[in-house]
Amino acid sequence: MNLLDRRVRGFRLVDLVLASLLVALVLGTYLAKTMAGRERAEIARTERQIGEERARIRLLQAEVAHLEDPARLERLSVAYLGLGPVSIKRDLEPRDLTDIARTAANTGKLPGEGMPVKPHEALSFDPTGRAPEPAPEAPAQ
Amino acid sequence: MSLGLQSFGPDTVSRWLSRVMWRLEHAFERARASDKPEDDTRIRIFFVGALFAAGFAALAIGATNAALFTDAGKGDGYAPPITSARGDLVDRNGELLAADLLHYGLYIDPREIWDASETRRALRSALPELESARLERALRAGRRTFVLGGLTPEVKSKVYELGLPGVSFEPEERRVYPLGYTGAHMIGFVDGGGEGLAGAEAAFNSDIHKLASGGQAMPLSMDLRIQAAAEDELYKGVAKFRPKGAVALVVNVHTGEILALANYPTFDPNAAGAAPLDARLNRAAAAIYEMGSTFKGFTVAAGLDSGVATPMSTFDARQPFQLGYRTIHDYHATHKVLTLVEVFQHSSNIGTARLAQAVGVRRLEKYFKAFGLTEPAKVELLETARPLAPRVWDDDAMASTSFGHGMNVTPLAVARAYCGLLNGGQLLPLTIHKAPPGARAKGPQIVSPRTSETLLQIMRSNVTGGSGKSANIPGLNVGGKTGTGDKYDPVARRYSTTKQVSSFAAVFPTDGPVEAPRYFVLVLMDEPKPDATGADPTGGIVAAPVAGRIIERIAPFVGVERRMDTAPFTDVAPHPDDAREEH
Repeated sequence: MNLLDRRVRGFRLVDLVLASLLVALVLGTYLAKTMAGRERAEIARTERQIGEERARIRLLQAEVAHLEDPARLERLSVAYLGLGPVSIKRDLEPRDLTDIARTAANTGKLPGEGMPVKPHEALSFDPTGRAPEPAPEAPAQ
Repeated sequence: MSLGLQSFGPDTVSRWLSRVMWRLEHAFERARASDKPEDDTRIRIFFVGALFAAGFAALAIGATNAALFTDAGKGDGYAPPITSARGDLVDRNGELLAADLLHYGLYIDPREIWDASETRRALRSALPELESARLERALRAGRRTFVLGGLTPEVKSKVYELGLPGVSFEPEERRVYPLGYTGAHMIGFVDGGGEGLAGAEAAFNSDIHKLASGGQAMPLSMDLRIQAAAEDELYKGVAKFRPKGAVALVVNVHTGEILALANYPTFDPNAAGAAPLDARLNRAAAAIYEMGSTFKGFTVAAGLDSGVATPMSTFDARQPFQLGYRTIHDYHATHKVLTLVEVFQHSSNIGTARLAQAVGVRRLEKYFKAFGLTEPAKVELLETARPLAPRVWDDDAMASTSFGHGMNVTPLAVARAYCGLLNGGQLLPLTIHKAPPGARAKGPQIVSPRTSETLLQIMRSNVTGGSGKSANIPGLNVGGKTGTGDKYDPVARRYSTTKQVSSFAAVFPTDGPVEAPRYFVLVLMDEPKPDATGADPTGGIVAAPVAGRIIERIAPFVGVERRMDTAPFTDVAPHPDDAREEH
C-alpha cells in the first residue's frame, strides 16, 4: 500500500503529516518572532544604557578637564598650599648627584642651600575681565 | 472553448506549447477516464501543499530577513543616541580642549498644560535664567514651542522631576570648552548652529565635522602645559605693566607647530558672544604692529647671508646717519664704531641702517619677501592678517624697515620668519595641527645653515651681554632680541612718544647643531605702562623677563635639559644702557 494512501483513524497519513507540519511552522514562526522581539528589546535596553554611559563618560571627561585646568590648579595650589612651579635651577638629573656630593664634601654646603625662595604669586586678576571665580572653601581642619 | 492544435500555427515551438497546454487542461478528464480518481485527489493535494510550502517558505525567508538583516524594529523603546556634530579637539598630549556634550532643549506645549500659573512659577524657580517674555510667548502659543536650550542633564532632571504636564525635552549636542579661557584664541569657538567661527574650530571646520561620525578627536599642536605656563607668565607681566593688549607665542622652529598662543585680553569660548570684540581679537594672528628692533634680526640675517657682513664687520655709529630723507639716531648713542654683534647688542639704529645700505634696497626687499614678512603668515588660522609693507622700496623704506619701522606685521609673521632663520634656513608654514612624531617640515631655503648658526650665536650674545639679559636662564642658553616700536598716532600724525609696542623674540637653546631641538618664544605688549620702578617699559624691561620665565617653566616640558652656559662674542664689552635700549 502506498504511503500516501495509508489512513490513521480515517485520516490520511499524508494529511496528518502536512497538518502537523503546518502547526509546527506556525508555532515555530510565532516562537521565533516572540523570542526575537524579546532579544531586540534587551539589545535596545543595553544599547540605551551604553549610550547613557557614553554620555556620562564624556561629561565626566569634560569635568575632569575642567578640574585639571592648569590655570585653576595653579590658583588653588597657590591659595591653599603655597606651591608654585619648580625653578629649573632646582632641577637636577641623577648624573649630577656625584658633582653635588663632591661640592658638598668640599664646601660643606649643598648647591642651592640657603637660596632664597621667592613665594609664588597667584594671578591677581581675571584676564577675561569678568569677576574672578570664587575659590572653593578650604577643607575643615 | 478549447484551443485546438491548429490554433498555434505550424512551427515546432508553437506545436509543443499547444501540446503542453492541452495536456494540462485535460489532465483531470484523463485521470477520470483512466478510472483512477485518487490520482485526481493526489494532484490536488500536492498542488495545495506546494502552495502552502511556497507561502511558508516566503514567510520564513521574509522573517529571517527582517530579524537578521534589516534595522526595522530595532528601535523598540530606544531613542538612538544623538551623534556629535563636531569631533573633539584635544591638545598634542590628548588633553580634552573642546567637546560636544549632551544637553537638552526645553519645550512647552500649552495645549497640555492644565495650570499655566503653576507651570510659570515652577519653571521660573527651577530656571532663573529663563527669560520671562520668552516663557510667556511659549505659554500663549497654540503649539509646542522651544523655550530654552543647553540644559545640562542635572538641570533637565531637576525640571523633569517637577512633573509639569506639557513640558518636555529634546536631546541636543552643545559645544563645551572645559578649560574656559585657557587657549581660547587657538581653540576658537562655534556659533549656535555648530559651525566654527574662529581659531581651530573655524580653520578645521569641515575636518572636525567629518571626525564626529567616527568619534575621533583632532589633536592640535598646543601643549596644554606650555599654554598654561605662557598664559600665566604673560598675565603676570600684564598685571605689572598694564598694557592694552599682549601676546605670547611658543613655536617649534623645526616643525612650525605653535605649542602655545596666548592673548590678553582673552575670553571664555563657552560664552564667546558675551565677550567684547577686543577680547575675542586674536592679536597674534589678526593684529599688526610695528615691531621695532626685533626686526633687526632680519636685517642682520640678510647682511650675513648676502656676504655683506660678518659678526666682526664694523659700522660707524659715531654720528647720526642720513639715508633717504631720514636722519637716523641711536636712542642711547654709543658714538663708537661698532661690530655687527655690538650693533645687535646695543640695538644701534645707525649701525643697522648702514648694514641695510650695504645690503642694498633690492636685495633687502628680496630678503624681507623671502622671510614671508610681506604676506599674511602662513598658518591655518583664518584670521591671519595681511601686513602693511612699503609700497615702494626705496632708501627711505629700507632705512625704516631695517630697524622695524614703516612695516606692520602680525606676531605670527615675525615668529614664522624667525623660525625660518633659526632652523637652518627653511621658511616653514606655521601650524596649529599636531605634526606626526619626528616630522620635520620642508620649506624654501631663505638663508644658509651657516647664517642660521651665526644668528643663533649673535642672539645668544644679546642675552649674555646685550639688551636681553633679563631673559637669561642659567643652563638653557637663551638667545633673543628686544624690540620697542613707537606707535603711530593718527591724530597727531606722528609717532607717539608715550605709546609703544615692546617685544622680545627669544630662542632656546642656542647651542648645538642647527638641527637640534629648538624653540622660539615671542612676547609682545601693546602700550605697556611703567611699573612701580618708573622705568621706561621697553622690550628689555617688560617682555624679556616674561619670555625668560616662560622658557624656564616650559624647558622640562619640551625636554630641554640644562647644560653648560655658552657666551659667544664675549670680548664685546657690554653697554650700561643695554637693558633700556632700542626704539
